[in-house]
Amino acid sequence: MSAKTKISVVDLRMEYVDENRGIRHIATDGLTLDVKENEFLCVVGPSGCGKSTLLSAIAGFLKPRGGTVSMDGRPILEPGADRGVVFQEYALLPWKTVLENVGLGLKLRGVAKAERDAVAMRFLDITNLTHAAEKYPHELSGGMKQRAAVARTLANKPEVMLMDEPFAAVDAQTRLTLQEELVRIWDENRLTVLFITHSVEEAVFLGDRIIVLTPGPGKVRAVVDVPIPRDQRHWATINANPQFVAIRDRTLALVRGLEAA
Amino acid sequence: MSAGFFRLGRFRVDLLAVLPFLLLILMWRTLPSLTGMPEYMFPTIGAVWDKAVELTANGQLQDNILDSLGRLFLAFLIGNALAVPIGIAIALNRSASDFLRPVLTFLQSIAGVAWVPLAVIWFGIGMGSVVFVIANTIFFSTLYNTVAGVESIPKVLHRAVRSHGGRGWALYSELILPGAFVNILLGLRIAMARGWHALVGAEMIAGSNGLGYMTMEAVQWYQSSTIVLGILCIGCLWLAMDQLIFRPLERRTVVRWGMVRQ
Repeated sequence: MSAKTKISVVDLRMEYVDENRGIRHIATDGLTLDVKENEFLCVVGPSGCGKSTLLSAIAGFLKPRGGTVSMDGRPILEPGADRGVVFQEYALLPWKTVLENVGLGLKLRGVAKAERDAVAMRFLDITNLTHAAEKYPHELSGGMKQRAAVARTLANKPEVMLMDEPFAAVDAQTRLTLQEELVRIWDENRLTVLFITHSVEEAVFLGDRIIVLTPGPGKVRAVVDVPIPRDQRHWATINANPQFVAIRDRTLALVRGLEAA
Repeated sequence: MSAGFFRLGRFRVDLLAVLPFLLLILMWRTLPSLTGMPEYMFPTIGAVWDKAVELTANGQLQDNILDSLGRLFLAFLIGNALAVPIGIAIALNRSASDFLRPVLTFLQSIAGVAWVPLAVIWFGIGMGSVVFVIANTIFFSTLYNTVAGVESIPKVLHRAVRSHGGRGWALYSELILPGAFVNILLGLRIAMARGWHALVGAEMIAGSNGLGYMTMEAVQWYQSSTIVLGILCIGCLWLAMDQLIFRPLERRTVVRWGMVRQ
């Protein structure tokens, strides 16, 4: 896959300062990576390797202490609708119905109600949530909340979808379903995805490429290609796929620091 | 949960909620005669009823109620119109917080009836003074609840709205006001209750009409039935406001949203 670079992270240094205790923690240092246009890139690494901080820098939530983060050659300075984020905590607005949550981005850009409801319904259909359109977030299960959050981001037509351990808080069964749904949805709605996870299996199942980070401060330890055809990505069969098993085991060894890059 | 209910027009009334009122009436009916309290110290139900009929017939009661309610609503508007934006500014802006918090804390301790003497000098006896004192009280009730409400909005919701294109005024209408609404509503309710206290206090000292003035004036003539009538009106009006405005508002918003349990 030789697509053009969508997001470029060069020599990124991110720091976290605990103001109450006056402690400075270095999350990433000298981190360099590219996200290619329309690829599904997963970033894995042990806890505290700065992978969520990396996502925050690309989203524009946090400012780099050193290095640059740019999209299409322009530096990223603040959050924007071109980079929609899906959070582990779902982050749906409790005072809006599911339909209104999914239409949020369209409302913020001034789209009329009838049109944004129509678009939102289409994305609720894609995420199997049409029956929940008039419900409020507190009435949904964790899996349904995360489906709604994905629909909210996709309905806003971002150029990049940034996903911060989105399935870490749902139960194991639901997680498998959501992963398969994400494979299907992404096939039907291609866009650039940066997916942060601590689960190697999840990364191999979802990604075109995987970036393995070292323990904090995070740097790139290895880049792993996942050339498994997307139509073979079903949990019922993929564990019998030797390619999947080999990539998974190698990536796991890389994450644990047992194998040199 | 409820022991049963009956319908009063389109309103549902819980029997359990009515019981304490019946008990109060029973005590009122029996205790004065049992303890030998003379009627000028505590009037009978019949005397208060007669007074209510008399003051309604000559229009005084309605006038006083409308005067008090008018002041209360005017002060409610003024106090909240100042408190909500200032509260949001304090919660979101470090400089605004550093600048305003200490002086507001200082002023909070003297909020309310303590201002009556100065208010009388500034505005004279009547409307202006009373509204000033109530608005002052309401301001501080709403202010600190607004600050707490805005500060309670999770950071991840700010991030979610901003990464879906939220900026400028939309952040206030889509995120900050609804996100702080649980606390703001709580604040408005406390503000209204305290507003009633301030209203009665201010009218007693600086009023020329209204329910508070009516009860205080009655003292000069030992009109205990007027005093008790005034107390009953104040209690009933606040109860009605709470049940007809604040509770339904709460059910339709923060309870519906799952942000508070009922």
